[in-house]
Amino acid sequence: MKEVYLNDIAHGRSGDKGDTSNICVFAREPQYYDVIKRQVTAEAVKAYFGDMVKGEVVRYEVPTVCGFNFVMKHALGGGATLSLRLDSLGKSMGSALMRMKVKLDA
Amino acid sequence: MKRVSIGGGQGFWGDSNDAAIHMIRTADLDYMACDYLAELTLSIMQRQKLKHPEAGYARDFLGLMGEIGKEAWQKHTTILTNAGGMNIPALVEALGGMAKQQDMQGYKIGYVLGDDLLQQLPQLESEGVAFDNMDDTGDYQQIKDKIVNANVYFGHEPIVDCLRQDADVVITGRATDSALFLSPLMHRMGWAENDWDQLARGIMAGHLLECGGQGAGGNYMYDWRGVPRMDELGFPIAELTDDTMHITKAPDCGGIICEQSVKEQLLYEVHDPANYITPDVTVDISRVTLAQDGENRVRVGGIRGKQRPDKLKLCIGYQAGYRVVTYLSFAWPDAYEKAQYAADILMKKMKRKGLKAKDIHISYLGLNALHLGVADMSKETIDRLNECVLRIAIHTEDRTEAQKIIPEVSPLQLNGPPGASFFGGRAHVQEVIALWPTLIPRDAVKLTSHIAEVK
Repeated sequence: MKEVYLNDIAHGRSGDKGDTSNICVFAREPQYYDVIKRQVTAEAVKAYFGDMVKGEVVRYEVPTVCGFNFVMKHALGGGATLSLRLDSLGKSMGSALMRMKVKLDA
Repeated sequence: MKRVSIGGGQGFWGDSNDAAIHMIRTADLDYMACDYLAELTLSIMQRQKLKHPEAGYARDFLGLMGEIGKEAWQKHTTILTNAGGMNIPALVEALGGMAKQQDMQGYKIGYVLGDDLLQQLPQLESEGVAFDNMDDTGDYQQIKDKIVNANVYFGHEPIVDCLRQDADVVITGRATDSALFLSPLMHRMGWAENDWDQLARGIMAGHLLECGGQGAGGNYMYDWRGVPRMDELGFPIAELTDDTMHITKAPDCGGIICEQSVKEQLLYEVHDPANYITPDVTVDISRVTLAQDGENRVRVGGIRGKQRPDKLKLCIGYQAGYRVVTYLSFAWPDAYEKAQYAADILMKKMKRKGLKAKDIHISYLGLNALHLGVADMSKETIDRLNECVLRIAIHTEDRTEAQKIIPEVSPLQLNGPPGASFFGGRAHVQEVIALWPTLIPRDAVKLTSHIAEVK
């Protein structure tokens, strides 16, 4: 087993709608799709972000492009206008998720 | 076989005009659509219009049209934009004046009125519309006296109407970004109002283009170092027939169009991929396919559509207090510890001044201002910090409360921990406008299409 950053096996982008942040995550190679599917679950992402994401996290799967979409409610400190965060739109939520550690079979 | 090409010329209000100018000059486009409106933009424009009655639209669009409006017209490239914002007549007038100056007699400016529902809210309420917040709980009665603007997101119908009347440019307010792209495709291809699969393809073409450079290698996580000539980044172009859709870009510009670049935009700001809701159609991209089909050319397939929703989204902006943000920087050694101490000092002073805040957010640029709770806060990282910038953001009900911290920050250069460096001048209090998204019945909205011809 070796541990890597999600960033090593995936890429994606984050966006905002109100206080909801979405992060899409795509496997860099098809063989990583199942690794992400097993380990980067909605529950794991909710636990990973802790206080940063106050609402529910839902994961959608788009296997035809080896992708997932994480939709996270109450995730931006109030949203574009009310948030006091430097990154009120959550542009860096995507890279924040990419620091999550995942395990690969060596 | 009919074939249409359409370019995405702007990703937001404040975007660069370079790519739009380049694509008009070098790509053989039938249409170019330019999106200027993000969620909060109309509230900002409404504030501008209240101060200056001739303002309230995206002036940048006039600058763009000054450069390429006439050339686009001569090349039969029709331009569509939601740059009209909160003051569509003012933009129509300004654009008409510009076209006249450039001897564009016969130029037809189409425009759509009716998305501004501010004056109709009391009547809609009396008719039983509850204005429940789509995203949240909350009581509309608490915000109804603080409303700044209320604009409904609308779809293709009035835009197609303008195109049927041979508009050379179409100006709207809160048309959805993707309707600016779908409408000309429907018009040119003759797609029916209920041909959900075709409409869904048109919406997705718009979705892949509406963020400009972000659809062509900008903000590209997969391999940002590998994006050619980012200083001349091209914006994406869609080419459609009844059966095919390709995403590409203009010749001789930077950027990249590949499966990964298209993927990153594909799900951007989408929630459920099987039910992406727009006023025109509910789009299903849960089985979408992408395939490289030549250099900087990706074929998109597998898009399905379903019946459109019965209701339309109304976005209400309301006054929600004031905000102030201040910064103070510190250098090694102990940069983070010093910045934390400065935050302590300022918070003690604020307590003494009796600050009444709704929310206070303290973070440290260079350490955790972006990644917050998941940033690396290990001792090694903190000990090695060359520098660290304290950031304090405060949200208050009253303007005077927000002002309390402003004079206290720069004195810490002499009165606080060593090496504090103040920059950027004293902070300014900003008004906070919050958003209240809600759903209203389709028939509550009366949109009208108009044409102004340059004489």
